[in-house]
Amino acid sequence: MLELIFFNVTNGLIVGAFYALMAIGLSLILNLSGVINFAHGGFLVIGGYLAYALTPYLGFWGALLVSPFLTALIGFVIERLLIRRLYGRDPLYSLLLTFGLAFIIEDGTRQIWGANGLPVSVPETLMTSLSSKFFFITGYRMFMVATVAVVVGLLFVLLRYTRIGIRIRAGTLDLETVAALGVNVRALRSLNFAVGIFLAGLAGVLAGGQLGLEPTMGDNLLMPSFIAIIVGGVGSLTGTLIGGLLIGVASGLTAVFFPSASEAVIYVLMAVVLLIRPRGLLGEEGMLT
Amino acid sequence: MTKDLFSRPVQRRTMLKAGLAIGAIQVASPFVISALADEPLRIGVDEPLTGTYAAVGKNEVLGCQLAVDELNAKNGILGRKIEMLSEDSTSGDAGTAVQKARKLIERDNVNFLVGNVNSALSQAMAQVSNEKGILHVVPGGHTDPITGTDCKWNVFRVCNTTRMEANAVSDLLFKTYGKRWHFITPDYAFGHTLFQGCEADLKKLGGTVTGNELTPLGTTDFSAYLIKARTANPDVLVVLVQGNDMVNCLKQISQFGIDKQIHVAGTQQELESVEAMPPEARVGVWMFEWYWKQAAGTPGLDQFIAEVRKRTGGKVPTARNWFGYVTVHSYALACEKAKTIDAKKVAAALGDMELPPEIKLQPNKVYFRAGDHQLMLSAFIGELLKQGDGDPENLFKVNSIVAGDSIAPSVEETGCKMQMPA
Repeated sequence: MLELIFFNVTNGLIVGAFYALMAIGLSLILNLSGVINFAHGGFLVIGGYLAYALTPYLGFWGALLVSPFLTALIGFVIERLLIRRLYGRDPLYSLLLTFGLAFIIEDGTRQIWGANGLPVSVPETLMTSLSSKFFFITGYRMFMVATVAVVVGLLFVLLRYTRIGIRIRAGTLDLETVAALGVNVRALRSLNFAVGIFLAGLAGVLAGGQLGLEPTMGDNLLMPSFIAIIVGGVGSLTGTLIGGLLIGVASGLTAVFFPSASEAVIYVLMAVVLLIRPRGLLGEEGMLT
Repeated sequence: MTKDLFSRPVQRRTMLKAGLAIGAIQVASPFVISALADEPLRIGVDEPLTGTYAAVGKNEVLGCQLAVDELNAKNGILGRKIEMLSEDSTSGDAGTAVQKARKLIERDNVNFLVGNVNSALSQAMAQVSNEKGILHVVPGGHTDPITGTDCKWNVFRVCNTTRMEANAVSDLLFKTYGKRWHFITPDYAFGHTLFQGCEADLKKLGGTVTGNELTPLGTTDFSAYLIKARTANPDVLVVLVQGNDMVNCLKQISQFGIDKQIHVAGTQQELESVEAMPPEARVGVWMFEWYWKQAAGTPGLDQFIAEVRKRTGGKVPTARNWFGYVTVHSYALACEKAKTIDAKKVAAALGDMELPPEIKLQPNKVYFRAGDHQLMLSAFIGELLKQGDGDPENLFKVNSIVAGDSIAPSVEETGCKMQMPA
């Protein structure tokens, strides 16, 4: 029993790392632009499918590198054309827009690549398990965790030490003053959006190798991301990271005892957090107004 | 002048004209009604075109369309052309499925209703079709009650029942692999009835269930369940999840190397799912409800494959194409047999109707059982192939084709008490 719990907690952390990747991208966009990006799952799908389309030419690694950038570019364009017009308005507008975008992306993918799932093969080198005992820690999952760790680490470095990063963080706190100080806020928001979408695209490529591609795959991964943000605290990236890991572990642990509740438990966790500490674990008060 | 303000007394001439008109209509009406025979027959198809079941739903619709085109090329049904109306029922919203069914029946006046893939949606639609007295065939919803405890005089089903699925493989798995089975079951009606069927069969044979993991629909990560399954150390890991859940589960099973320690099997497999898997995930013993690669010389098979390839850009037909195809052709055959499109008479003709070779596309006798309106289709049992055996399109090795009526529970066992209309 102890072994089972240990396995599931470890597994939960692996799954949680993936949720965290999605959630951080969402959180970035939410913090700076005030946009609730319901299409985040759609960008995940785009990232995965683009990688699939590029693999014959660039191989798995090439596609892994290029696809997130392409997805970020698409996100940049969409931000410029569509989302930018809704800044400053009620968040409901951007929510409706991104909600509609999500459907467009899903059905567009279905039109281009078909409704059926597409098989994604992962390179041989990543296929082996750590050991017979820890069979569920496959090379690919370790690779996923490592990628997430590296990328999130780079993101934090970017936010902490580069000028753009400092501007983004400042903008999160007080965008007007940042604009008054002469920073091109429009470009900042576009760039920030693109970074968030980059993370979604990367999540899509990783998910493709783990789960296979199909047009609706974004839906299942979007809700946990939202919950990770709420649990970890709106406005805090570190909180979102912790939130993602937390719900991954919670889900894994519940699967041991009440498998049918393993999906519901993350919502229960969210309810508990909202009741006891509405701002989330590391959130700041009044962030979402 | 004042006379114009008040209603004029009816003039005799007007009365005569009216009387003549009424008389003429009485005599002329048969000539008016017979013109209706040139009106096309309408088939309403209410299938999922979006969401999780989009792939299988679209394949069923394709099969229906192919059958409609074939029939129209040859004089339609009873001399009338067939018009097919297709609506999106969505993959899981019963409200929409029912609303679309009502629209097809009430506004579009369809004579025949087809749907659904989702068992729950099929049952909801069956309520509507029964209320309206429209013939209804369910091509792809598997839950037992549709031709069991919830059977209706106007509802027929093409795909097999969850009980038939369990019965098809249980014997084989028990004898070949062993008596301790662990299950991964989707947590909804289909999964529950399927597990109950398997559990009953296993107990009868003398085996044990080491565990049953109920997984929510849409689970992407099966690691927790596979960890538990592995710890229980069964002889057979029975995977009952379907669609994308199946793809993810098998991928993870092969990634974790579980298939090397435990035999993997299941009750139902679909080509749509298999096509979405990478080669290394194609493991285990499964049952298909229809498979395209069969002995040479099966009547009508080559033509069916060629036609489907034309319409899908080169892909081989799946069981879902076949379900749609059989659905429409069965309706046509029943109408021809009853010499009318009246729902009650067609329903009577459809019960016990045997499918001709060029429609059934398989060996064994395939027919609709009168007692519960269930098609006795064969089960194609075999193993998934990592490498096609020289034919890269052939992903499944069929070991046996078992006749439907040998694996189906008797009508009494299904609990169906058919209430025929007066």
